[in-house]
Amino acid sequence: MSYEVKLDAFSGPLDLLLHLIHRLEIDIYDIPMAELTEQYIDHIHAMQTLELNEASEYLVMAATLLAIKSRMLIPINENEIDAEELEIDEVDPREELVARLIEYKKYKEAAVQLQELETERGQVFTKAPADLSEFMPEEQLALFDQNVNVYDMLSAFQKLMRRKQLKKPLSTRIARQEISVKEQMRSVVSILKNAGGRVMFSQLFEAEDKPMLVLTFLTLLELMKRQVIFVEQQNNFDDLSVLLTKEEINDEYEQLTEPN
Amino acid sequence: MMNTNNLLSRIEALLFVAGDEGMTVKQLAQYIEVEPMDIEAGLSELLSHYNEEEMRGITLKQLAGTYQLTTKPEITDTLKKLIENPTNQVLTAASLEVLAIIAYKQPITRAEVEDLRGVKSERPIATLVSRALVQEVGRAEGTGRAILYGTTKEFLNYFGLKNIKELPPLPEEVDQEDDQPTDLFLTKFQETFNQN
Repeated sequence: MSYEVKLDAFSGPLDLLLHLIHRLEIDIYDIPMAELTEQYIDHIHAMQTLELNEASEYLVMAATLLAIKSRMLIPINENEIDAEELEIDEVDPREELVARLIEYKKYKEAAVQLQELETERGQVFTKAPADLSEFMPEEQLALFDQNVNVYDMLSAFQKLMRRKQLKKPLSTRIARQEISVKEQMRSVVSILKNAGGRVMFSQLFEAEDKPMLVLTFLTLLELMKRQVIFVEQQNNFDDLSVLLTKEEINDEYEQLTEPN
Repeated sequence: MMNTNNLLSRIEALLFVAGDEGMTVKQLAQYIEVEPMDIEAGLSELLSHYNEEEMRGITLKQLAGTYQLTTKPEITDTLKKLIENPTNQVLTAASLEVLAIIAYKQPITRAEVEDLRGVKSERPIATLVSRALVQEVGRAEGTGRAILYGTTKEFLNYFGLKNIKELPPLPEEVDQEDDQPTDLFLTKFQETFNQN
């Protein structure tokens, strides 16, 4: 039977099994092991592009199927066993596999539900908060939470990327030359200096192209690590504030070493 | 107590300024200096205005515990023209699968996710962490102290949920064709009963 298989179509051996069960119209509670095992192994043969990593997972499942199949072939000689052993033997060898398939199927369906929510949410847009920081009295600016971690940074970056989606550049961009984290560190530090040592997170991301945005983000992480800057979270909105640490305001950022 | 129009206009202005950061009922009450219940009444009145008046392009949405002004879904075709590549951000099937498992079974370790899926899940988890949809929420007991993952506020926002309780219920187990052992006896009994 020639059947085209794309490995990408399956997210693992359980997924492939569910696909086969569906296609062969098998009752999941009464799996004909011989048929399913044969079909499964045929499919693996067809997947010649299997990466070694993935192949091992598919092969483990093939071995499991064969083991179940053979256990089902062992005849039970009723005269030689007492009732207690019979109990143990009465467990269907397929039981564990069926339980795993059913559990996996639930989450596979839940993933489809999430995808529907994702599509629905994609129809609706929001805008960035107005930046009121310049109108804020100093004492309110002092109300910052010092506990910004990398997850807060990622979350701020995600929001930013979402907002950027709605800003289509009005002119075609000429391909820019590669900029290194090192150069970008200099420019971030000089932006900070010109702004008197404090800017909002989003103000550092004026560029429109993704590589540049990612570069800036990595630069901020690097500067945080080196304790050149620190990042705070404001109380009223969740936007982050980037501050230059005191020491760095005195011109010593000209002699940057290459980050490793 | 201020009059209703005055209150609604203030709520609208605050939500406009807050943008996609949104505001909680508590924050709105604090800024306008009224009781939270007044805010709640104001919000539902504002929402019915937005939804009843077709000329309005914005509406009110509860996302991740805050209220935000959003555009209406019916004008998305116009807005999509502003977006360069609307499809580049959606999650892959593998990422969605891992995310579903984490969302319903959190806190959960990577090993537990992999057991359930029967497949390595390092890459999808890394993607989800970098997109701020899941994060470390603690460490498992015992050897290795494996990282426990859970969903984030961004997750709620990304899927348009008020809170985690709003997740759609987990799909039911596969329908059985009356072959549960306990039911079998009952069905037989019923058949026999009906025949007599």
